[in-house]
Amino acid sequence: MSSVAKNVKTLFGKYKVLALGIAIVVIWSFFGYMTMTEDGSSFLTSRNFSNLLRQMAITGMLASGMVFVIIAGEIDLSVGSLLGLLGGLAAVLDATYKVPVAGTIAIVCFAGVLVGLLNGYWVSYLRVPSFIVGLAGMLAFRGILVGLTQGSTVPVESEGLIAIGQAYLPAKSGYILALVLFAVLVVISLRTRTNRAKYNLTVAPMWQDAIKLGVTGALIFGFVHTLESYQGVPVPVLILLVVAGAFSFMANSTVFGRRIYAIGSNLEATRLSGVNVQLVKMSIFAIMGLMCAFAGLTTTARLASGSPSAGNMGELDAIASCFIGGTSMRGGAGTVSGAMIGALIMTSLDNGMSMLGVETFWQMIVKGCILLLAVWVDVMSGSNER
Amino acid sequence: MSEYLLDMRGIVKEFSGVKALDGIDLKVRAGECVGLCGENGAGKSTLMKVLSAVYPYGTWEGQIFWEGRELKARTIRETEEAGIVIIHQELMLVPQLSVAENIFMGNEITLPGGRMNYAAMYQRAEELMRELKMPDINVALPVMHYGGGHQQLIEIAKALNKKAKLLILDEPTSSLTKAETQILLDIIKDLKKKGVACVMISHKLDEIAEVCDTISVIRDGTHVGTRPMSEMDTNEIITMMVGREIKNLFPREEHPIGEVIFEAKNVTCYDVNNPKRKRVDNVSFQLRKGEILGVAGLVGAGRTELVMAIFGCYPGHHSLEMTLEGKPLQVNSPKDAVEHGICMVPEDRKRHGIVPLMGVGHNITISTLPSYAHLGRIDAEAEMHTIQQSIARMRIKTATPLLQIRGLSGGNQQKAVVSKMLLPNPKVLILDEPTRGVDVGAKYEIYKLMFELVKQGLSIIMISSELPEVLGISDRVLVMGEGKLRGDFVNQGLTQEQVLSAALGQSDQSLAA
Repeated sequence: MSSVAKNVKTLFGKYKVLALGIAIVVIWSFFGYMTMTEDGSSFLTSRNFSNLLRQMAITGMLASGMVFVIIAGEIDLSVGSLLGLLGGLAAVLDATYKVPVAGTIAIVCFAGVLVGLLNGYWVSYLRVPSFIVGLAGMLAFRGILVGLTQGSTVPVESEGLIAIGQAYLPAKSGYILALVLFAVLVVISLRTRTNRAKYNLTVAPMWQDAIKLGVTGALIFGFVHTLESYQGVPVPVLILLVVAGAFSFMANSTVFGRRIYAIGSNLEATRLSGVNVQLVKMSIFAIMGLMCAFAGLTTTARLASGSPSAGNMGELDAIASCFIGGTSMRGGAGTVSGAMIGALIMTSLDNGMSMLGVETFWQMIVKGCILLLAVWVDVMSGSNER
Repeated sequence: MSEYLLDMRGIVKEFSGVKALDGIDLKVRAGECVGLCGENGAGKSTLMKVLSAVYPYGTWEGQIFWEGRELKARTIRETEEAGIVIIHQELMLVPQLSVAENIFMGNEITLPGGRMNYAAMYQRAEELMRELKMPDINVALPVMHYGGGHQQLIEIAKALNKKAKLLILDEPTSSLTKAETQILLDIIKDLKKKGVACVMISHKLDEIAEVCDTISVIRDGTHVGTRPMSEMDTNEIITMMVGREIKNLFPREEHPIGEVIFEAKNVTCYDVNNPKRKRVDNVSFQLRKGEILGVAGLVGAGRTELVMAIFGCYPGHHSLEMTLEGKPLQVNSPKDAVEHGICMVPEDRKRHGIVPLMGVGHNITISTLPSYAHLGRIDAEAEMHTIQQSIARMRIKTATPLLQIRGLSGGNQQKAVVSKMLLPNPKVLILDEPTRGVDVGAKYEIYKLMFELVKQGLSIIMISSELPEVLGISDRVLVMGEGKLRGDFVNQGLTQEQVLSAALGQSDQSLAA
């Protein structure tokens, strides 16, 4: 192999996000070119960007939970049905029982965690393979949903609930959030520097951190500016960003996160190191359940109704996003940001092809091929070799 | 035609810029056994992977001449067809398939239509078993019915069936008992007479000395020297391997021994699959503060099961009573054990010790993560500080603490696993085969560390299958056999014979003699 190819391979192996970023640029350029008219491209507009992100929110929420399930070496096939069930529950609570919005949200989230714990208990304590537990849930939850809604759509009335899926933050408030986020990043960066100095660890030169922060800041500003030039930051996108941020933090900087990676890489060694691996595994499923609740509420709010078919095949989109984003099929490796970009790629394909008027069957074929291709590239890069 | 069967010249193999092999030569004559020696990470296994085309032609530099002609093999199949067969340290048998099916894996004798010709395969397999002096083996039974020693021999039968002219044995005796090892060594001698050449990689130098005609030593990827065995002894080999003289293999240091700190009473473990069979049968013992307690015995004596029960990870039904510092102790999981101050470094490093995809540093801190965290958030700098201290203390050789642990040599992995189990500040440290697959240099450092630890008041239980190690390190020796405690000796003037005859038990003593 030529040394250039080898270097590219190591670079992509090391910075998967880079390869994924390039993939997004290619996909967006393609759709941007294909939808070009006299008034410019209709794909590359702030309006469509805002739409795209709103479409992505639901898959993104599921993927950010799913990525931990896969890192831990398991899989959860029930999330699409659970999303539907919890969304339906929200609609029924709102329409039939007139529960206040805050109550609905609390009950649905609680139910999500509870079902997740149940799934996790079956997997981790009763040792039924997660594939089977997921398959069982996929059937059962969908069944409960159809029973609950009696097979018909349940319209939602309260404005507050609908806002979760459809509203935007007040104009210009996105800039304030961006500023706050940037300030937090600066503080964290400075604290890391003083802390490293305290323990006599090497401190990276100031200019390196400054460049990193500069680039991050520019990205955040560009992102918010694009959204603000349409109607502002959509609420579901904000929820997704908060979830993704919190989960990235959990993955990188918490005891719980570290243990998830350890379990996925070698469960026995982790157990013999004195970690309660069963509890960690069950908790991961509980988090997945909570994410189903978030996604369910968002779906119901977006459609302004609970539908018995909501979330159909949602698990497949979520799992595909994780794998496209470089999560290892055998556990132990993967990132939340990767899964988010994976979700963005999947949604971009949906959105772009719909704009081009590509028929649904073609969309499915293309998405299938892209998933296969993405994982093949990942395998070729050798990053998952054992 | 050259006088050598195999002639490797100037082999260079790089991994992402690091030279694992830097101009190695290796020559083997027909019917000769060459011992390949070197510390872990010296490049022995890499060299054998080059030879057997695990690393195909073109991914390394240099030349290989086989029977006088240059060999440019790109697949393992090509090297096997040429007659080079490698037997890996980890056995490559399919446990559910029969002995004969394993022997003929990939070389099946078939009838028209692709059906298996079992009659022919059984007959040939039985022939091979007789050749290897194992006529008792039923070639139609699944391989999993046989122990590690027999499986090793089945691997050899498989190699012979491929018409091997050169057999590469990578640590063939690491999981064999003394008796099984002897059978294997005898077979190697037999094969030599039949003209089959061998390359044997082993850390057990007395075995090398017994069967090898020539010794080739490599160190840090370079060729140190090749000499006939008749001209040297094991001490010289060690000196060549480490590049310095290790005068005393066991750096014994005097240390005070205090009161009884830990006691296990009536430990009984039942077999997971056969609940009537006792793997450990009513074993009781005491451990004193600052003491190194060696546990000797043959493979299958129940030593690992004993410590697994103490550490709370024995999978089957078991019962025991324990006291730590005079107080009764209840341990239901490794988590309990670690919290109460009992830590264990398991026997199987790859399966139970390391978390391969994580960095060396993060491997070291798995057990103690909460102590660097506030409200669940890890203080990365405090953690890194501890990691660097551990790496420095244990002299773990790694480019950075972030390097994935699977990239390290066995000895350095082991040091990392030991570091991990020292961070919780245990009172009792259990080491199960702490130096298995570890090179001489790292072994020495592990022994030094053990003495340093007991001086600080830690108590150590060490399981070891190497009698010189047990006798060289322990203050007291427990001997187990068939699940029972067969002896509890103070290690003063204790001999290998005494330990071995205790391990074999009274009834077996005549057999041993």
